[in-house]
Amino acid sequence: MSTISDWLTRRLLLTLAGLAAVACATAGCGSGASHGSPGPGAGSGPAVTIRARSLSNVGTVLVNSSGYALYMFQPDAQRQVTCTGLCAATWPPMKISASDRLVAGPGVRASLLGSDPDPSGGRVVTYNGWPLYTYTGDVAAGQDTGQGIDLNGGNWYLIRPSGQPLIAGPAGS
Amino acid sequence: MRRVAPADGSPSRRAVLLGAGGLAAAGGGFAAGFAVDRAGPASGAARDPAGQPAVPTPGEDLMTEHGLLLRVLLIYRRLMASQASGLPVQASHAHDAALIIHDYIEAFHEALEEAYVFPRLASAGQLKPTVSTLLLQHARGRERTQLILAESAGSGSLKRAGARLVATSMAAFVRMYEPHEAREDTVVFPAFRALLTPAELTDLSQQFAELQTQQFGSDGFAHMVARVADIEQALGIYDLAQFTPPNITPPAA
Repeated sequence: MSTISDWLTRRLLLTLAGLAAVACATAGCGSGASHGSPGPGAGSGPAVTIRARSLSNVGTVLVNSSGYALYMFQPDAQRQVTCTGLCAATWPPMKISASDRLVAGPGVRASLLGSDPDPSGGRVVTYNGWPLYTYTGDVAAGQDTGQGIDLNGGNWYLIRPSGQPLIAGPAGS
Repeated sequence: MRRVAPADGSPSRRAVLLGAGGLAAAGGGFAAGFAVDRAGPASGAARDPAGQPAVPTPGEDLMTEHGLLLRVLLIYRRLMASQASGLPVQASHAHDAALIIHDYIEAFHEALEEAYVFPRLASAGQLKPTVSTLLLQHARGRERTQLILAESAGSGSLKRAGARLVATSMAAFVRMYEPHEAREDTVVFPAFRALLTPAELTDLSQQFAELQTQQFGSDGFAHMVARVADIEQALGIYDLAQFTPPNITPPAA
């Protein structure tokens, strides 16, 4: 099972990866799959995999390659990354660099994967237009402690493999 | 819930602090490891290059914010006592107190810990189980706050069932956060402090102050304290003297 130290290390590495991507983003290395052009996620480097996983309380939702739940932020409105600064400390965005390969795991629709620019630098993986985030309160894989929380200016929800946020709760879509 | 708009934004440093650079400087930069500052208490005061006293150190800042949290816990205790006694619990008192927790403690104070304190300790390999527990408690606290806010959204007195739900959540919140913040004050923050060089301490102190100004304005903390004081006044628990125990009268000879 993954531990908090694993998570913190990943978060640190992702932050550094995001910083490394700033120069590329500034130089216009690509606009991202969500905009129909090969960009971050189309590289030949390490795979960044989005998976589907059944969690005990909520059913099947998207998780990262380590099994940590992925959330969407309503104010993002399927358009842009709005959780930055201290918000991103609590909800670390799922970053991707230009050299990464974005991979859809079993049950995940590759056509819904993409990326958006992060105002803090680099790019963030999107699904059905929603930028994806993890939550610091999930200290082990398979947890969903951020589901339905109103924090940092809006509501946070898990996402079904269909691309729909889990707004209705466990009995939802 | 409101999203605090950026301030004037003119100082470029603010943009840097809130961007990847700022957080990475705290999280990523720390990964390299730094010497421990053991120069004594006087070295803990953040000073500008001219040697003038500057802003509180990060630990002082976080502990001051814990003082605000403690005062809200006292409010929660008062409301819990009212509910247990069958007295009316005003929804506005519960809601206003929980909003302070939601807006200031959970979205700002805890975010500072999650952005700067916990990653630094993790990179140093310190207090891993403690930090894991603290993070989960942040999440559980936020859940309780959501419930309190939802149940107290109306006006007037809480209905009996709602008051019971609110009191139960407040009790869980108080029970968790008293040891939570005590552990942070006595173990976590001192450990974090010991990992910082004087230069880092000064820089981080400034960053904390600027982040607070950005989110809540230059008198943001004072405004939060005033909001707490208003609720305390309404509940009759503002006067500090009322908590002083009576003199112990020596037994008659």
